Amino acid sequence: MDWLAQDPRVMFLGQAVEYAGTAMTNTLKDVPREKLLEMPVDEELQMGITTGLALDGSVPVSIYPRWNFLLLATNQLVSHLDKIHTMSRGGYAPKAIIRTGIGSERPLHPGHQHVGDYTEAFRLMCKWVEVIRLDEPEQIFPAYEKALLREDGRSTLIVEWGDYYSEK
Amino acid sequence: MPITQLTAEDLILFEEDIATEFNAGMIRAPVHLYYGCEQSMLDVFENVRPQDWVLCSWRSHYQSLLKGVPPAEVKAEIMAGRSITLCFPEYRVLSSAIVTGILPIATGIALGIKRRGGSEKVWCFLGEMTAETGTAYESIKYATNHDLPVHFVVEDNGKSVCTDTRKTWNQEKLTWEDTSHPKVTYYRYETKYPHAGAGVRVQF
Repeated sequence: MDWLAQDPRVMFLGQAVEYAGTAMTNTLKDVPREKLLEMPVDEELQMGITTGLALDGSVPVSIYPRWNFLLLATNQLVSHLDKIHTMSRGGYAPKAIIRTGIGSERPLHPGHQHVGDYTEAFRLMCKWVEVIRLDEPEQIFPAYEKALLREDGRSTLIVEWGDYYSEK
Repeated sequence: MPITQLTAEDLILFEEDIATEFNAGMIRAPVHLYYGCEQSMLDVFENVRPQDWVLCSWRSHYQSLLKGVPPAEVKAEIMAGRSITLCFPEYRVLSSAIVTGILPIATGIALGIKRRGGSEKVWCFLGEMTAETGTAYESIKYATNHDLPVHFVVEDNGKSVCTDTRKTWNQEKLTWEDTSHPKVTYYRYETKYPHAGAGVRVQF
């Protein structure tokens, strides 16, 4: 995240971004505060704002700590961010980075509404947004590097494993 | 000073031309035509500048024309079947055919403008059923509380597709009716066109 933050276009938004609260918060602790934007708990609004920021020229890194939370933004992700490039025949190319996680099950199991992995389902639903799941630590930097530097006008949805923050 | 010199009559004639094309089976996609709101729309566009964004729903012919897109270009997109999501990036026009879809995006563009100190403004058009949704409430609340450069225009034709908006909510007076809000304009109008199409059932 520190590397991403060096790009002047990049900003981070979501829940537990400016405040503590999730494992992802820890990955932002060295990011300059002016790059962080805490959002209300309103997943659909957050995804729409993410697309709007990208249309305006930012590269927003939009953080949804768990897949189950991101489900609430499906309309904005699948029917808007993923379709605007096609609808505008390439005229609009909002580049955003969506960051989500598969909830950790160890040492505490948070319940079945917090551990979903919908990677394959969203790969089927998204034609333009690329979905990348990070199964090994060595995938992390190349995935975010690709997401930031890509010039094909596509957004990237990157999936992390909550359990791997402490295990890998 | 408005971007174009189009008149109410010009707008009506444009839609009548599209209606004729549609009823003749020349457009193989839905069209959503305006009628009866010409002066209200012209009033809004008195304040819209070329650098501003205009975000619309599935009904967006008037906005595209008044933002300065040449009528022939608008018609070409409609004839190509793209009326429902008209997008003209060079004129900063963006539309969505999903209810509420454009509102959070408008809010986000406005947030970006404010964060970088830009002077542009976002104009976001929505119907009265959309205006009653949670997404509308959340977008307008966020934009207002953060004083973002966005203005929402609620267009009330009383119907969502064919559904009576007031009846479904069991609410005679809608949320934005007869209210004053610095970021919301509301107007009511009666159209002569159906929700989609132009009155003649077209079989392809």
